[in-house]
Amino acid sequence: MMSDDLVEPVDTALRDQGESLVDQAAHAVEAYRAGEREPLAALVHVMTPLLWHTVRAQGVDQEHAQDIVQNVWLTLVRDIDQIRDPRATLQWMLVTAKRAAWRAVRRTRDEALRQDADEHATDWLTTPVDELPDSLAVRSERDKVLWEHVRALPDRCRRLLGLVALVERPDYAVVSQALGMPVGSIGPTRGRCLAKLRTSLAADPTWSLS
Amino acid sequence: MSDDDATLTLFAHGTLDPADRAVLDALARLVDAVDPVPDGLVDRIGVALTIEALEAEVAALHLTGEPALALRADETSIEAGTITFTTDVLTVMISVHAEADRVRVDGWAAPADVIEVELHQGGDVTTTVSDADGRFSFVDVERGPARLVMRRPSDPTVPVVTPQIEL
Repeated sequence: MMSDDLVEPVDTALRDQGESLVDQAAHAVEAYRAGEREPLAALVHVMTPLLWHTVRAQGVDQEHAQDIVQNVWLTLVRDIDQIRDPRATLQWMLVTAKRAAWRAVRRTRDEALRQDADEHATDWLTTPVDELPDSLAVRSERDKVLWEHVRALPDRCRRLLGLVALVERPDYAVVSQALGMPVGSIGPTRGRCLAKLRTSLAADPTWSLS
Repeated sequence: MSDDDATLTLFAHGTLDPADRAVLDALARLVDAVDPVPDGLVDRIGVALTIEALEAEVAALHLTGEPALALRADETSIEAGTITFTTDVLTVMISVHAEADRVRVDGWAAPADVIEVELHQGGDVTTTVSDADGRFSFVDVERGPARLVMRRPSDPTVPVVTPQIEL
């Protein structure tokens, strides 16, 4: 593991719970092997959103994304005795989800070439979006401002930030590593992506946190 | 390095502060609002995992005889597929009849007993109870992959699960 779990009193105070996703996933796997299934059921609730957005960030449509996420879970329980290091569970799941998503995207592209289908309209984490999504129209002015700045970020930054935002700080390094982002792009330090976003928000007079 | 770059580098190496966390939290809510996890997905995964676990725990039913259940898509006749599964504790024979674009599933479990039968299709579960001879049926069933989960009064904590079958 990386050493970035160390220190930084402010962050430690900010963490809601003591248990990172890495810990929770490791515990769920160990419990499941011991015949106790509840911790894994709880993990499904906590982790499915992260898997969902990981898959969607690769540009997979809604329907396929649901199958992929469900399959990641089924594969986990089928191979659960083969996991050597339960603390690698989170990373394994993210990588599995991402690879399955890539395969799905490749297949869809092949089909799209044949059928001349439209580009996905919803893969906002991957492709620049020109219009405000409908679901944002009803959001606050502040969210709209944030959205504008986020979508001005480079592709990789947008994807990385969109996903690390969903987890607590101890898990940042695992998430960024699983996504193939350089470790440290958001790890022990706050990272250039977040710094970029902060800089551009700070320069915007219409942005305020409260 | 321009002034902007220098500032950025300085910023990037600072530690995460409450304002960063606030930006990330706002972003997390945004991500969720723009592309929410579909309703029911978490529940469906829960059901799939439960069935998976049952299958692993219970001596799963084994297929006997020919796997004639996979009906052809162009089949409009009343042609039925019949399939038999067996374990040490239970044997169940299932036949499937096409009815318009849906199917009817008839089953017969032995030894004869009143058993609880669940039909699992994706996240949907339909439940019925067999008669005293072990006969049961599901009507107006959607086509597609399905499983039966059977619970016997003699041993209700150990359900018997079929492999996935194509209706």
